[in-house]
Amino acid sequence: MITMLLALTATSASAWAATVVNKDDSAYVLVVTEGGSRMEIAVEAGMTETICPAGCFVTLPSGDRIALTGGETIEIESGTASVK
Amino acid sequence: MSVIVRSVLLFLAASLLLLAPVRAEMAPARTPSVEEAEAGLQKAGAQLAVIADKVDQHREDDARLVELKNEAEALNRSLLAISVATRPRLEAIKARQAELGDPPGEDSAPEAAIVVEERKKLAADRNAINALTGEAENLSIEATKLANSITEIRRSLFTDAILKRTEISGDIFTRAGDALVTEVRTLGRTVAAWGKFVWKFKRLALLSAIGLSLLVALVLLVGSLRMFSPYFNRASVTERPTYMTRLSVAFWSTILPSMAATVFAVTSYFLLDVFNVLRPDIAPLVAIALAIGVVVFFVLKLMNAVLCPGDGNWRLVRLSDRGAFRLWLLIAVMAVVNGADYVLAAISEALGSPVVLTVAKSFLASIVIGVLLIVTAFVRPILKKGEPPDAPGRPWPRPIFLALVFIGAGLVVSALLGYVGLSRFVATQIVVTGALLVTMYIGVLSGRAVSAPNAFAETAMGKRLEARFGLSQLGLDQMGLAAGFGIHILVFACFIPLILLQWGFQIADIEAGAYRLFTEIHIGSITISLVGIFAGLMLFTIGFLLTRWLQRWLDGHVLARSQVDAGVRNSVRTAIGYAGVALAGLIGISAAGINLSSLALVAGALSLGIGFGLQNIFSNFVSGLILLAERPFKVGDWVVAGTTEGFVRRISVRATEIETFQRQTVIVPNSVLINGQVGNWTHRNKLGRLELALSVHAGNDPLRVRDILFEVVRAQPGLLRNPEPSVVFMAFSAATLDFEIRAFVADILTAGAVKSDLRAAILLRLREDDIAIGAPAAPEVPVKISPEGAELLGEIVGQAAEAIRSRPARRRGRASSGEDNP
Repeated sequence: MITMLLALTATSASAWAATVVNKDDSAYVLVVTEGGSRMEIAVEAGMTETICPAGCFVTLPSGDRIALTGGETIEIESGTASVK
Repeated sequence: MSVIVRSVLLFLAASLLLLAPVRAEMAPARTPSVEEAEAGLQKAGAQLAVIADKVDQHREDDARLVELKNEAEALNRSLLAISVATRPRLEAIKARQAELGDPPGEDSAPEAAIVVEERKKLAADRNAINALTGEAENLSIEATKLANSITEIRRSLFTDAILKRTEISGDIFTRAGDALVTEVRTLGRTVAAWGKFVWKFKRLALLSAIGLSLLVALVLLVGSLRMFSPYFNRASVTERPTYMTRLSVAFWSTILPSMAATVFAVTSYFLLDVFNVLRPDIAPLVAIALAIGVVVFFVLKLMNAVLCPGDGNWRLVRLSDRGAFRLWLLIAVMAVVNGADYVLAAISEALGSPVVLTVAKSFLASIVIGVLLIVTAFVRPILKKGEPPDAPGRPWPRPIFLALVFIGAGLVVSALLGYVGLSRFVATQIVVTGALLVTMYIGVLSGRAVSAPNAFAETAMGKRLEARFGLSQLGLDQMGLAAGFGIHILVFACFIPLILLQWGFQIADIEAGAYRLFTEIHIGSITISLVGIFAGLMLFTIGFLLTRWLQRWLDGHVLARSQVDAGVRNSVRTAIGYAGVALAGLIGISAAGINLSSLALVAGALSLGIGFGLQNIFSNFVSGLILLAERPFKVGDWVVAGTTEGFVRRISVRATEIETFQRQTVIVPNSVLINGQVGNWTHRNKLGRLELALSVHAGNDPLRVRDILFEVVRAQPGLLRNPEPSVVFMAFSAATLDFEIRAFVADILTAGAVKSDLRAAILLRLREDDIAIGAPAAPEVPVKISPEGAELLGEIVGQAAEAIRSRPARRRGRASSGEDNP
């Protein structure tokens, strides 16, 4: 029972961080600004990355800048990124 | 299913629907325009500049720096929020651009002017939003950097204060001496002038401030004394008190007066301030004197409680009388010296004396405390187990002795080397943090003692509760557990912040830390919110209680009054119970921030388990739901399932309890009841047929017997006339005629009693009508006998017949019909 609860908390709590899903065949680079520093994060083709547990700014491959509070999922599909 | 069940389900569905709009309302109603976001950003930028300015101004003020850091972090969050708010607009622009598609090539026909215009506008808006977010990003970086630099400044402030070194030489002391003379003179003048002024013009305000705060403190002290008096009164126990009593007396007799003293200090300072009695130069002196006074009072009270120099019976630790007294004295002097150090430093600061004076005073105080610690090491207070308190003590155990000597020497040496700040810091930690830790330890011990088995019932409060509410032993024990837990929480919640304050944390620091602890704990990329989980639990509890209440109300008021069958009532109540708990669970899980969509993952993992291991349980669960809905039997029915026969007592989700007539409870899994054959004597009605087999002697007239039986059956109370009872002539043999009576009773549960009565009535009637019941093994028995024997027997019979004939004749009617003898 307890392990189940823990598993539940773990799977659900990860929803607080933002997730990037790359559904394309090529890798993309996102610029993530978090905790006062900019860093580039590469998302390999078909991979899922977890970024910014506590809010951040992201520059998408298209050049658009968006802010995330955490809990969002960014999907990159055929070159365009959308926030869910 | 009945109308009621359906309406209950409808109600549940409706309440679910009601929740939906609430969720919708929580989402932002509209997206703010780009201009608004721009204005917000500009304001945030200005705020950031103000904060940075303030940081420069207050580089020395630790408390102010903490506040500024919190402000910077809040600003950072608001920047994020502003940018997030522009996201829907960006999405809309992108969607519209996708709808418009790429602009047509040069060789194809040009677009309509309005479309071109829209394209331009969309592109411009998109750029504006991106620029805005970029600006927010830069500001956020600045804010974070500012917050980090504040942390850096605070760290260096702390190290400066602790590790600053002053060259100790004779020169310092001569300069300090000069400064001291000036300071004493200035202090005297200031205080005297203030005192004269206050006495002349503000006498009433001064006296009423002190009087009022004394009153408040006294009310608090007396109130708490009355409340906790059993914990508090040493005189009430004459012989040696138990460890538990000593502990609680020590704890409460330290905490309560200290709290009263704190309240007195705070209110009197506040009132003096409000009444304008304090002058700017006097106010800090009064404040620090009051604060240090409270701390010293607390340390002394604590030492009194633990060491009890006057009464060995109440001492918490096993120390000799003389040792305890000396320890008490040494610690009291240390506390007073340390406190005086702080008061004098504050005086020097308030009067603007040279720093060298403060250094000299702290130097002296550190040396005194160091020496006192070394002296403490040579006190011989330890007693062996069983020795009386007035026995001569033994030296400390070696580790404690060494630690005391080492720390004392360290204080002296570091002061001599010039690290006065460090040795002062350590000395304060030893006195104040030590005292806090000791109190905490006593509190924890008393909490543990209260929660020990049966300990709470022995306490005065436990006795009072027992007398007042008539609590059982078990209830008291559980209350003891709760009380112990409560004391633990209280102790940690009170003392950990105090200790942190001691170590240079600021109140704002602790607040922010506690806030973070409760709202978001990060473990890797996982964030857990204690408040969320707690809220979820609370909501679940409320939902659960509401369900129980609804169940009771519906069952007791609505269903009972509408004369609904008990089985239906039970089904409805159970169904509502499960639905309510499930609903409360869902609400609780959502409130705890656990994402329900991730449940799908767990469910996927579980489905494998259900496929194999949980198959039975799951099938029982579903069977239970079917039983509740279909109701092949209900609570109170008389059922036969396989070899089990009895009354249904409870239908729960996994199994059904059947109570046999021997009062044995058999738990039958629901799937057995659904899949197997179940006989129910009381399904639609309680009508039942009883069969009674009986035999009479073969010599009787069967028709007569049948008529007699029929008469008896018709006359028997408790049997129904319709359907009509019948008497069936089942079989005959050489020995018996076999009959069966078949009759109906209104309530099958009475069948046993009716049968018994019927048998009695039949037997009486048969006897009355001389109908033989019994029969020998065979009507005629052949006997082999020799001729002589036969002759002899004939002779005997002849004589006997002669003798009988000579007696007066009498009726022997029974022999004629019986023919029992050959």
